[in-house]
Amino acid sequence: MVWEAILWVIFFLMTMGLIALNLYQIVCLSDLEADYLNPYESSARINAVIVPEFVLHGVFCALFLLTGHWFMFLLTLPIACYNTILFMKRQHLIDVTEVFRFLSAEKKYRIIKLAFYLLLFVLVIFRLVLAVISSMVDEDDDWHESGWY
Amino acid sequence: MNTMGTENSNRANVPQRPAASPFAAASQSTASFLSSGPVIGSEASAFRPTPPTAPQITRPFLSSGPVVGSEASGFRSAQTGRPNDPSIPPPPSSYVPPPTGPFQHFPTPQFSSTAQVPPPRISPPGQPVFYPPIKPPAAHVPSQPVSLHPQPPQIPSVRMGSPPQSINHVPSGMNVPPSSLDSSFSGPRPTLQPLQSAFPGYPSRPSNAVTQPPPVQSAPFVSHQGGYGPPPPTTSTPFFAHQGGYVPPPPVTAPLGAYSRDQMQHQGSGPPMGAVQGLTEDFSSLSLASVPGSLDPGLDSKALPRPLDGDVEPNSYAEMYPMNCNSRYLRLTTSAIPSSQSLVSRWHLPLGAVVCPLAEPPDGEEVAIVNFTQNGIIRCRRCRTYVNPYVTFTDGGRKWRCNICALLNDVPGDYFAHLDASGRRIDLNERPELSKGSVEFIAPAEYMVRPPMPPLYFFLIDVSLSAVRSGMLEVMAQTIKSCLDRLPGFPRTQIGFITFDSTIHFYNMKSSLTQPQMMVVSDLDDIFVPLPDDLLVNLSESRSVVDAFLESLPSMFQDNVNVESAFGPALKAAFMVMSRLGGKLLIFQNTLPSLGVGRLRLRGDDLRVYGTDKEHALRIPEDPFYKQMAADCTKCQIAVNVYAFSDKYTDIASLGTLSKYTGGQVYYYPSFHSAIHQEKLRHELARDLTRETAWEAVMRIRCGKGVRFTSYHGNFMLRSTDLLALPAVDCDKAYAMQMGLEETLLTTQTVYFQVALLYTSSSGERRIRVHTAAAPVVADLGEMYRQADTGAITSLFCRLAIEKTLSYKLEEARNSIQQRIVKGLREYRNLYAVQHRLGGRMIYPESLKFLPLYGLALCKSIPLRGGYADAQLDERCAAGYTMMTLPVKSLLKLLYPNLVRVDEYLVKVSSQADEFKISRLPLTVESLDSRGLYIFDDGFRFVIWFGRMLSPDIAMNLLGEDFATDFSRVNLCERDTEMSRKLMRILKKSREEDPAYYQLCHLVRHSEQPREGFFLLTNLVEDQVGGMNGYVDWIMQIHRQVQQNA
Repeated sequence: MVWEAILWVIFFLMTMGLIALNLYQIVCLSDLEADYLNPYESSARINAVIVPEFVLHGVFCALFLLTGHWFMFLLTLPIACYNTILFMKRQHLIDVTEVFRFLSAEKKYRIIKLAFYLLLFVLVIFRLVLAVISSMVDEDDDWHESGWY
Repeated sequence: MNTMGTENSNRANVPQRPAASPFAAASQSTASFLSSGPVIGSEASAFRPTPPTAPQITRPFLSSGPVVGSEASGFRSAQTGRPNDPSIPPPPSSYVPPPTGPFQHFPTPQFSSTAQVPPPRISPPGQPVFYPPIKPPAAHVPSQPVSLHPQPPQIPSVRMGSPPQSINHVPSGMNVPPSSLDSSFSGPRPTLQPLQSAFPGYPSRPSNAVTQPPPVQSAPFVSHQGGYGPPPPTTSTPFFAHQGGYVPPPPVTAPLGAYSRDQMQHQGSGPPMGAVQGLTEDFSSLSLASVPGSLDPGLDSKALPRPLDGDVEPNSYAEMYPMNCNSRYLRLTTSAIPSSQSLVSRWHLPLGAVVCPLAEPPDGEEVAIVNFTQNGIIRCRRCRTYVNPYVTFTDGGRKWRCNICALLNDVPGDYFAHLDASGRRIDLNERPELSKGSVEFIAPAEYMVRPPMPPLYFFLIDVSLSAVRSGMLEVMAQTIKSCLDRLPGFPRTQIGFITFDSTIHFYNMKSSLTQPQMMVVSDLDDIFVPLPDDLLVNLSESRSVVDAFLESLPSMFQDNVNVESAFGPALKAAFMVMSRLGGKLLIFQNTLPSLGVGRLRLRGDDLRVYGTDKEHALRIPEDPFYKQMAADCTKCQIAVNVYAFSDKYTDIASLGTLSKYTGGQVYYYPSFHSAIHQEKLRHELARDLTRETAWEAVMRIRCGKGVRFTSYHGNFMLRSTDLLALPAVDCDKAYAMQMGLEETLLTTQTVYFQVALLYTSSSGERRIRVHTAAAPVVADLGEMYRQADTGAITSLFCRLAIEKTLSYKLEEARNSIQQRIVKGLREYRNLYAVQHRLGGRMIYPESLKFLPLYGLALCKSIPLRGGYADAQLDERCAAGYTMMTLPVKSLLKLLYPNLVRVDEYLVKVSSQADEFKISRLPLTVESLDSRGLYIFDDGFRFVIWFGRMLSPDIAMNLLGEDFATDFSRVNLCERDTEMSRKLMRILKKSREEDPAYYQLCHLVRHSEQPREGFFLLTNLVEDQVGGMNGYVDWIMQIHRQVQQNA
């Protein structure tokens, strides 16, 4: 059962990564709003991390599927689909020329996403702890079993 | 490199200007600006799509066919159908429908007139004569065809004392109990009175300013404007005052003939008249009552308001605040700022401003230039407002209070002046910044991030087969050559050229050469610039080389048979050459970009896309390359002007993006042919090259506390939430913005606006042009309507609608305009419906009387009209880009063009000095007399319409031998006849009025299809063309919608 715990550690790191990427984008947008960053720089920074974020999320989602965690997979699937649609429509990147027009919408979108990832984070931690405990119990069992005989 | 080169090389050493400087040029400014809300979102939510237009009643008098032989004025809409009234004789042919003056002002009732009037009931004045929508049951109404003679108006005042009580007999459901709705804002008249007196500056309107200008020809209607005096007894009929929609009031059956009309009006129901006296209100109305069962709308098309005087600039504004900047620089959609959020939400029209920062000053005025040499420019410490006429000096002149944020600032020592007894500075008259609304400050070094750039013109020229064939290349080269002496900024002006077809050609113009050297780069995937400098040279140094180049350019590519266009790579190359300095990039594009990055494909051919949700995608750039390039160009202070010439699809939607975000402009010459279009190109290119231009500019508009600008519309790029980056600005560009309230309630009495444009003049000076204006805060919606500015509202509507077409269907954009007009009028109606019986009557504020018409014209303008077949996609997009930049005046002219008849003037034998008086005609087919010669002028082109029965003499005189040939091949040129000279003088004068665009003449013969339809008939906005409503239908439709849920 140790591999299960390791898997959850990987999930945990991935969630952390997704949260970090989202936070970074929100910070960039806030800076733009407050005029600490100009639109060119701000959108360049955000656009640089959008595709990595999508890829990371895709891997995250696929990994759940491959390891048979159906509930988690279904939970992450909508965002994966949405990302794919955005990417197909080529609307995933921030448009530097119209960035101010969509500023608050983009920010709201990212905050919602961040909230979702935080929820995911809680779930992942919970499952991680469960996995670790169960693996430890298993080890105990093994030990006990070996001791019994 | 030349001297400029050295100047630029030390650009890195230029001190960064302080971060607190308001103009965050490229670098981050730490000043915090609040974010703007989602523009489109909030906008879109305000729009509500309407259901498709209801089937229209057929209109007998809207004949679309040519009106042969009938005077325009003689064309009357005879009210035919009154089937349920047997007693009425069939109307004679010259029968003027009694809806006399279907719109009129509600005159002040003169209740003191005669004692015979039984006082207890008062009918709302100003609803005099028209067919009652509900027939009086008594069939004995002898409504004989009365010829309405002008009656001496006895009541000069047009304002009316509105009877505040509701009227009992209103049948149309408009009769709301007076207390129900509006008591808070407009209910009892007495509350309104003190409110008006709070603004003593409002000019009390002279009666003639308020009366509707009657249509020129329909003399009988004239008399019904303004006051309704008693008519001469001989002509008066008892039923003149018969109220529409009205069960005949009991007294009417009495011997009415003895009563004057004036008295008659007061026989309705109403309160005691004493309270009414002296209370004034003014609005205009249009009677739309139709006879039930009849097909006729009861609306006389002649009486509809038409802006035949062109754009009227708002003036009440200027009288209230004499130190405001001229309205051509800044126009507010309403000069009365709402005091509360709830008021804003009831103002359904746009709330904002249209700014044209570099508009040409009015005749005889100059924008004063102020130079604060030592201490820098006096500005508020906190909000960075520039010192302006509205700041107040206190503390003996040692402090000044900022009018925008109310902060008390110190007056620097050398700016100090004592105050006189009234608290004004004694040196007020010597200081233009304290007495004029528009000034220009010379900016010191702290306003620069780099040395002021020189004027720079870079040309990116398509030399493929079609460019050479159409003659574009030759005309363009000649024009540039002739303009070289007049380019602004001598001797610092820089110039450079790149030509391209399937390869990119660079030209070394080093001053030591005699002939330019051409370098060809054919690697389109990895663009490099073959020379570090000498591609961009100082014009005065390399003049001979530039001359030689322009001379040889047409012949150089004479035999070019290349049809490809590597536009994207060429654009990138031009960007690389220009990026260090910025400047103006003029692109001459003849074919669809087909090679390298940014290649575009043919689209817009698919008919099926129209009407679906994918339709809007045709109007936005296909390739993100263009948006990215535009953003990069703005960053490097490059303004892009696109000249497109193709006869085939060139994807203006994509190319125009370059202009849109760089403060540039799109010129589109569909199917350019030098023989026809060369004058137009020549003038417009020359204007573009030689007009005074402001370089590397940024613009910000500040406004008082509690108000905030939320969205900006026009050709520019936002650099921060409220800073417009404009690589090049000139007098032909206007920007619109919308504002909102930040607080629920404004506590101040006045809101100030200040537009500041920081730019580099062509002479290399850094300057700040500042326009300041003030507007009162009001708590009354009626006042907002009174102070509304149709021009500014139309301009904002136009920009909002065009932006909407980029993400929605055309129909939705049109509907949104209609919906907002309807909502605005409905809200206005609610203000007054309680006090007046208004059934079957459309009311609107005097200030907005043209708004419905402009709304209609907007829906029929090229960017918004119809569907697939009604305008070429490229034409649509180009017009859209152009209309996004137009100043108010030009826009209104484009929407409601001039139509004038000239044959009479031409024939008349007169002296040279005799001036041609322009009397504009309504834009309907009925205005066109087949014996006449008409000029249609929308500011972009002339259409000269030759009537079928125009005397051949005139045509011969004007056209000579070409008279009989195909008009599409005929060029109107001056001939050696008096008539021809006269006509050319008229045209010349119209062209001089607005030199921004050159009007090319198109000659059109009466009923010569499809030419007539294409040039003229589709542009007669009042007619029903191609499924779009005519003016009468439009008004009816709006009226119906206003009444729904009213």
